[in-house]
Parts: sequence; C-alpha cells; structure tokens
Amino acid sequence: MNSLLMHPGVPLIIASILILIFKGKANILSLGAILVSFVLLILFLPANNLEFIFLDYNFIFFDYSKLSFLFCLVFLLIALLGKIFSIYRDCYKEKALILLYIASSITVIFSGDFITLYIFWEIMAISSSMIIWSSGTKQASKAGIRYLQVHLFGGVILLMGIIGLYMDTGNLQIRHLDLYSWYNWLMLTGFLLNAGAPPFSHWLPDAYPEGSYSSTIFLSAYTTKTSVFILIMTFAGEEILIYFGLYMIMYGIIYALLENDIRKILSYSIVNQVGFMIVGIGIGTELAINGASAHAFSHIIYKGLLLMSAGSVIYMINKRKCTDVGGLYKTMPITATCGIIGALAISAFPLTSGFISKSMILDSSINQNLIYVWVLLLIGSAGVFLHAGIKFPWFVFFHRDKNIITTDPPMYMKLSMITASIICIGIGIFPAILYDILPYATNYVPYTGNHVISQLHLLIFSGLAFFISLKYLERTLTITLDFDWVYRDKGRYINKLVVLMQTLLNNLMLKMSLKNIKGKFLVFENYVMRQATVSVMVTLVLITLTVFLLLNII
Amino acid sequence: MNDRNKIFYTLLLLINLAPYLYGFYDFDKVNFGIDNFIGFYAIFGFIACLALIILAKLLAIFLKKGETYYDE
Repeated sequence: MNSLLMHPGVPLIIASILILIFKGKANILSLGAILVSFVLLILFLPANNLEFIFLDYNFIFFDYSKLSFLFCLVFLLIALLGKIFSIYRDCYKEKALILLYIASSITVIFSGDFITLYIFWEIMAISSSMIIWSSGTKQASKAGIRYLQVHLFGGVILLMGIIGLYMDTGNLQIRHLDLYSWYNWLMLTGFLLNAGAPPFSHWLPDAYPEGSYSSTIFLSAYTTKTSVFILIMTFAGEEILIYFGLYMIMYGIIYALLENDIRKILSYSIVNQVGFMIVGIGIGTELAINGASAHAFSHIIYKGLLLMSAGSVIYMINKRKCTDVGGLYKTMPITATCGIIGALAISAFPLTSGFISKSMILDSSINQNLIYVWVLLLIGSAGVFLHAGIKFPWFVFFHRDKNIITTDPPMYMKLSMITASIICIGIGIFPAILYDILPYATNYVPYTGNHVISQLHLLIFSGLAFFISLKYLERTLTITLDFDWVYRDKGRYINKLVVLMQTLLNNLMLKMSLKNIKGKFLVFENYVMRQATVSVMVTLVLITLTVFLLLNII
Repeated sequence: MNDRNKIFYTLLLLINLAPYLYGFYDFDKVNFGIDNFIGFYAIFGFIACLALIILAKLLAIFLKKGETYYDE
C-alpha cells in the first residue's frame, strides 16, 4: 500500500493533536501511537517512495534505505522507553510536543529531498525549544530562547545553502554532495550546527539540562542524531569532518570535567560521543559508516539510560548539582546500578553496546592509516571514562555520603531503566543483533584478544588517574564560559548600541514631532530590550542574508 | 605506603600483566607498531587522563566564573 498514512511519523502527529484536543490521556495515546509506528515500520515497509506534489514541487516524504530504517528503529525504541519513564510527568502539552518532535525527526530521516527535510528540520527546532519551555522554570525560558536563536540561525544558513543548490543544479534530491561550491559549505554548516559542532557547541549543554526530568531524554536523542544521519547521507568521507569530530571529542571531555550540574556533564558527553560519530563519517569507509551508525544506535540507548538515572535522582530529591548529592547508592540501589551500566556502556567497556560500536570507528582509522586520528580517538576513549564513566556515578551515587533519605523511583521509571540496561548489555553480548541492520553488510569481530585487553587496560588505568587526581576534581559552584560569551556578554554592548541609536532616533522624531510613529517605535524598543541576545541574533541573521544576496548579485 | 595501597598496586600490576602471560594479546597484530610492548594501553590511558585533567585545570583559570556571571 502506498499512502501518506503509512508513514511512521503520521500516527505520532495524530496522537499529538488528539492529546491537545482532549487535554489529557497523554500516556495511553502516546504509547499507542508509538506502537502503531513500530508496526508500520516493521510490517508495512513501503516499497515505493512516498511522494506528494504541491505547487509543482515533488515532496518526497518516504525514501526508504537501510540507514533510515536503523535510525527510525532506535528513535522509536527510545521514544517508547522515554514515554514509559515519563508516565508520572503531569504535563499533557509537553507530551504532545514531544510526539511532534519525534514525528518531525522521523520525517527528516525519511525525507528524500531537501525542502521536505528543511520544513521538518525547522519544526524540530521549534517543538524542541517549546519542550524546554514547558519545564516551566525561569532558566528554562531563557535557555529555550537561546536554543531557538541558534537553531533558527542554523536554519537560515541551511536554507541559503538549499536555495543555492537549487539555483545551480535544479536538483534537490538528498544525495552525496561535494565541498567545491559555496552553497554546499553553507549546508554543511547548517547540519553541523545541529550536531553541536564548534564553535556553536554550547547550545546543547546550555539548553538540554533545563528540560524537565523526563523531557531531556527525548531532547538528547533526536536533534544531534538526525544531523549525524544527514551528514552520512550527504558529506560522508569529507576530511574536514574528522577535525570537527576530534575537536568535539576533546571539547566534551574538558568541559565536562569542569562542570558541576549532573545533566550538564551528560550533555557535554553527548557532544563528545557525537564527535566520535562525526570522525567516523569523516573517515567515510564502509566500516567507518557502519561504526558511526552503530555508535548512534547504542549511544541513543545508553545516553537515554544515563539521563533516566539522572532524571530519577532529580525526580526523587529535586537536586541537580554534584555538590548537593552523594552516597545515593544506599537509598537508590536500582537507579545506581542502572546508572553504572549506562556509564560502563558509554565508556565502551567490553560486553556493553558502546564497545562493539566504538571499536569499529577506531579500527576504521587504523585501516586508513590515520595514526594521529587513532591516537586522538584513543585519548578520547580514555577521557570518556574519566568524565562520564566514572565521574557521573562517583559524584552522584558514591563520594561523600550526604545522608539523603529517599527511595528508588516508582515502578514504571524503574521498568524503563531496567529495559534500557538490558538492551545495552544484550547488544554488547550479541553484537550480531545490531550488525545485521547496519547499512553495509559486515563480518566485523569486536571481541578479539587485542581489542578486549587494550580497552580494559585503557579504562582501568584511566580510572586510576581519576582517583589519584580526585582532590583536584572536587566540584565547585561555578560555570564555565563558552563561545556564547561572545553574544551573551559582549552582546550587552551591541544592545547598548541599539538602545543608543533608538534614543537618537526618538529625539529626532520628537524634534520633528512625529508622535504617532514614535508610539509604534516604542513597542519595538521594549521588545528588543527584553533579551539582549535577540537583537544580536537578528543582526547576525540580517548580515548573513545580506551576504547571501550580495553573492547572488555577483 | 600502607598495606592496603600495596595490595591495590600489586593487583593493578597483575591485571596489567596477566593477559600477556596467558598469551591473549597477539603481538603480531599490533597497530602502527607503537603498541608492541607490555602495558602500552595502561600507560597511555593513565598519561592521557592526567594530561586531560591538567589541560582542563589550565583552561579553568580563564573560563571558570561564578554561577551568577550572566545574571547581572
């Protein structure tokens, strides 16, 4: 059957609308919709492309490939686990928005042309920032605005690239692109911005931890991984991606080491892990692409697990900083165990899902004779254990016992964490489950003596280094400056400049006694005054658009 | 060094050496020829982590600010 209703994203959108109409019944509707999507994905895979012609343009909503099947499968899996985890969260709007967010990211990975991709790319940006806002705190509303600004900025750049591509080639089908033309560079920038690449990596640790205890699980899974997917489709094998990825790996480790907020540590490690995938995409061989997609799959599950255990801590004791918690393994044994399994999986311990996927990326660098890349990836692997593998469980569940009286979270939250742990270990023990659905056929063997021993030694001695320098890793009540300082701190000066110009204009208008216009102008002034960063981002967008227009005239 | 530490470091040494003694590690399949001696990965991991911590601490001098830095 070949109809729009067969698309796996459609049940999610329908459920999302129904939740908003009924103002409730969110759990049953979302779980039902996700199960229907699963059935659609597995049983009724449309053999043909799903196309929709509007205004003489052919929108391709469903372009099936093995890669998109893999990503859709893991997207639905984490959606199911996350929805079970968030059953106790009482906010139907957030749940409806999450379904919209999932549906749009699924449509992005199935879309066959850049316009469809762009539309759902922007829906993703808007719905995810609304998810951040729905946690209801003051920090969340500010962080959500900053998040939206970065993503809309990225969206403008992406759109410019797409328009350029269309004007030059007239073909908007998603395909492998080269980096010989300026518009492809713009598209690469737009995609990388969503992956958390430098210099705009800060949006991720800035915004994700401000979501509610359950919504962060969803936020962590979709935006960066759709970007990984689209980079595999378009820019696989571009050498520049290796450098971006290596920078992200180091950035994630160093910033996470300095961080105090539990979920910010985990967010920095998302940047770090996506860095591994980007390196894999940059290497671009079949093994590397397999490694990047397998790593995306396992990363989504174990990062979800880690954020679930962090979310359980926040749900039970409402504390989010390392300095406020400690010694929780006594009172929350199941949460601690699941958190440790997630931490072992992210550090790629043998018998976990991280090991079987990360080894592929490391081996692909060896096969291509990229010795420096391999050495840096190895340092990165050691650093992952340092900043996420030990640091997160140690400071939350052990370290100084703060004698906090609490228990493990309620049943469904435990159920979801335990299921995710089983998946992490199951894939680690039976890697064939994952290897069979990778984009390229593979007979890769992760469990060789050399692999296991090198990885174990690397990790055990990283752990030793952690405990030796524990005194210097004590958490402090500080934040770490990042690139956003440029517009959050220096932005104040730009804003002052804007205000100064407005005052001058006002005085001018006063002299010319144009009171009517002045009244309208004041409204605008108040709006700009509200957020220093809004004016900066508007200026940036206007400048990029001007550059784009100039390029066209030339 | 007290007795507990002695036991700990002996254990670490054993963990490091055991796989080589039993021959689980194949020296013919080393990568780039730099990991062909016993304990390469252990030393590498240890030094890499210390270097990362030192780097982070150095950057912290410039980048760490009070929690209310942006709220003024």
